Amino acid sequence: MNLKLYNQFLKVTLILLSMIIIGPTFFGILGLLFPAFGYFPSLGSNNVSLKYFYDLFLIPGILKSLLLSFSTGFFATFFALLFSQIILLCIFNTKVYYYLKIIISPLLALPHITMAVGLLFLLSPSGLIFRLLSPWLTGFNRPPDFFIIPDEYGLSLILGLVLKETPFFLLASMAAIEQFPAKNIFKIGKSLQHSIFSTWWLLIFPNLYKRIRLVIFIVIAFTASVVDMALLLAPSTPSTLSIRILQIYQSPELNSIFIASSLALVQVFVILILILFWFLLEKIINQKFFFLFLIKTLPRKKSFIEKCLFTIGVFLILLSIVGIVNALFWGLGDSWHFPNIFPDVYTLDHLATFLYENKSIMFISLFIALIVSLISIVTIVVWVELCDHLSFQNRCLESLIFIPLFIPQISFLIGVQTFLIKVGFQSYLISLIAIEILYVIPYCFILLGPALRGVNKDFISIGASLGKNRVERLFFIKIPLITSSLLTSFGIGIIISLSLYTPVYFIGAGRVTTLTVETLNLAISSSRQDLGVATAFQIIIPILILLIIVYTNKKFTKWSF
Amino acid sequence: MPLNEITIVKMKILSIIYSTDNIVLCIFFKDKFKMLNSVIKRNLFHILLYFIIISLVFVFCSSTYALEKKSRVLKNEYWEKIIKKASGQTIYFHAWGGAKNINAYIKWASNEVIKKYNIEVKHVKILDTSNVVARILSEKTAGKNKNGAVDLVWINGENFSFMKKHNLLFKDNWIVKSPNTKNMDFENNPGLLNDFGIVTNGMEMPWGISQLNFYYDSQYLKSPPRSALDLRNYIINNKGRFTFPQPPDFVGTSFLKQILIELMKDKSVLQSTFVKKNHEHLLNPLWSWLDKVTPFLWRGGKNYPSNYLALTQLLADREIDIGMAFNIAHASNAISEGKLTKTVRSYIHKNGTLANVHFLSIPYNSSKKAAAQVFVNFLISPKAQLKKQNKAIWGDPSVLSVNKLQLEWKNKFINLPRGVATLNNEELQLKLEEPHPSWVKAIESQWIKKYGSSK
Repeated sequence: MNLKLYNQFLKVTLILLSMIIIGPTFFGILGLLFPAFGYFPSLGSNNVSLKYFYDLFLIPGILKSLLLSFSTGFFATFFALLFSQIILLCIFNTKVYYYLKIIISPLLALPHITMAVGLLFLLSPSGLIFRLLSPWLTGFNRPPDFFIIPDEYGLSLILGLVLKETPFFLLASMAAIEQFPAKNIFKIGKSLQHSIFSTWWLLIFPNLYKRIRLVIFIVIAFTASVVDMALLLAPSTPSTLSIRILQIYQSPELNSIFIASSLALVQVFVILILILFWFLLEKIINQKFFFLFLIKTLPRKKSFIEKCLFTIGVFLILLSIVGIVNALFWGLGDSWHFPNIFPDVYTLDHLATFLYENKSIMFISLFIALIVSLISIVTIVVWVELCDHLSFQNRCLESLIFIPLFIPQISFLIGVQTFLIKVGFQSYLISLIAIEILYVIPYCFILLGPALRGVNKDFISIGASLGKNRVERLFFIKIPLITSSLLTSFGIGIIISLSLYTPVYFIGAGRVTTLTVETLNLAISSSRQDLGVATAFQIIIPILILLIIVYTNKKFTKWSF
Repeated sequence: MPLNEITIVKMKILSIIYSTDNIVLCIFFKDKFKMLNSVIKRNLFHILLYFIIISLVFVFCSSTYALEKKSRVLKNEYWEKIIKKASGQTIYFHAWGGAKNINAYIKWASNEVIKKYNIEVKHVKILDTSNVVARILSEKTAGKNKNGAVDLVWINGENFSFMKKHNLLFKDNWIVKSPNTKNMDFENNPGLLNDFGIVTNGMEMPWGISQLNFYYDSQYLKSPPRSALDLRNYIINNKGRFTFPQPPDFVGTSFLKQILIELMKDKSVLQSTFVKKNHEHLLNPLWSWLDKVTPFLWRGGKNYPSNYLALTQLLADREIDIGMAFNIAHASNAISEGKLTKTVRSYIHKNGTLANVHFLSIPYNSSKKAAAQVFVNFLISPKAQLKKQNKAIWGDPSVLSVNKLQLEWKNKFINLPRGVATLNNEELQLKLEEPHPSWVKAIESQWIKKYGSSK
């Protein structure tokens, strides 16, 4: 009887835990759907209608915004995937492959906004590249009036996203490669007289693709609805769909909430269409004739295209590194006029004043990140343990945690915000933490879930046979076994939380601000020196966290199998 | 009568006077009394009148004195109460947070009030005031009439007009109750009580005065264009070297208004509410000006900087030739911060430029109105205003009337140095009045339609 009650209690806990994820998601979606269809009783609108969807298309330039979002989502994902594969195939069998993780981890840890700032400093007409070439080559004594960054067609936004997502795909692919005998397949391909290039695309990539498909869809959803990068890199007349939603939502008009919500729903559809489009492409590429065509056309030897693509890929990674280093120079330099390549004066003043003025912001950013990451990790561990204990096998519920990654951030957050105002919830900090958990848990789960479940059952049964109860087995066997994954996912959680922009902007509502939001404010207000300093911190903090993880991993991992 | 008799009679009389009662006296001096009586009777009315007037004056004086004393006590008590209530409160001050020097000034002010009144001020750095208005509106529509997110907002123009129209502001004529308003000269500066032609009704406290001004690097540009037409020619002759912040940014829209006013023949119509069918054609001069100019703007008019600070960076990089700002000391500030070279100078158009006042107001659903009032009162104190007007801090002209200040403060204000690129008061004499706020919306939405969403 007592045991039954205990099990009941555990089941309730399980349901409560799932509510951490499902609750906000559910209310966020509700808060989006009701106003989108014109239902918001306290605004005096009780009847459901499609009126606002008609109104949408009267907004000037909305079609161009739609197209921009669509093209950004597609091309950024496509090129990021392409370049990640090119880089991977060129170095797969070399020694560099083992160092690749070290090179890309810092890039991966940087917030998107940092990459955008780096690009801005680098490519704008007054940026480093033009400074390097002027005036000896171009003859420019002052920056030319070139419409490069941001540009008319959103190409620089795509470039920025490619830079940021390529390392992400690289990491995902490297994880996926370990799941199948890629090396053997590689050898088979070579023995069949294929070049590395064709071996990769014909034999390895199809295997790989199956395993990173989810990641690809996450990237599509993210790139098509990105906010922070678009604010800096997208053209402004008009901007992408997510920026338009933001602008409309924040304009002081009585029906702005309806229009913004319906537009946010349209964005969900844009992403659905994009994913369907991707499916269609998959189907076409999967046809036999396409493979035959590829086999015939792909060169057997090292080709010029391959070299070109590889050079571009490496160039892209270099570009992001140089951009970031250049941003550091802006933080330290003063009176840096065109076309000087280096600042005239170096000073630590900007650094000192920034530290003095923003120490509370940095503290709160770290605090939120730590709390969010900690809660996420604990939730995941408890969840997996409970599932194991109750032999709960339904994985459907688990796939729900990925929902927040597929809904465009801005659409989802508008819903959450509407809901929060409706309910009259007071604490901005608590709601922000609750929302950030939604975005952190999926990534932590990808790392931690398999590790927890993959612990060799024999150890556990030995522990059980020695009379250790479940809690003891968890703390003394499982956790020591997975310390490395646990710490890594804890660090990743911190890094993701630190880099989030839209949730902080929306839910924090200015009352709770983090470094990322502050950096974007500075970037828009164009105080380059402060922006440089803020970017420097954006770079230093995640890399420090990475280093700490690596160090503690080495220190605390006692044994692993 | 012999002298002796007379003296005897006198003695008798005196004795009678001293010994007998008044009746005897009356009889004796009957004649004299009669005279007096007649005089009194004749002038009785006047005498009474004098008496009444004197007493009335006395009563009036004493009562007003008493009243005055009482009211002063009342007022002080009221303010004391507010200060007492405010102690320990935390307010969220939503103010544009793009400029470092302004942020630093607000930080200084918050440090002062926490020391003096134990009020914690948290500066919520926003990018666009209309977002704050939208937030308060959504709170009102959701029925959140208490504990609003915003306790104080930096505002003017159409945002104020919108909030006033939708009853989103704390009314109660609170600005008069702030003791430091005594230093403001409302009679001679009606602009302090009018925001873009809208009467403020004591719902917003004047904080500073601004005027649209342009700046350029005198090293490269000898004589800047000083009118809308000259500017048009300049832009066409110097492709890609002029731009303005993208409307609906405040400065960008103001620039469009400035051009409209310069091109308009009958400017008086701008003071009335914009009616689409009557007034839409009046905007045509502006659109034809922009049609000619836009292809020659920076980035071909296909991209615009997001705010006026971005212009500073562009001018520093020499991407553009002319910048603009509403703060008359902006160029000087940028020079002293090392962002612009020392050769940068300011100018205004020869027929004057838009001038306005920026204000502070308290949303209706703030639960910390007392602390907000105390903070506002501090912000308009001579100390805070002097610091604000200092070019090394912010350079925003004070709203106080120098003549009303105590001598000590008066001298401090008069002796404030002006920045190298700041125009003096004579040069800034020509001011244009802001159009009615309803024109802003019309200009913005039309601009977005025509130029902000590439056809």
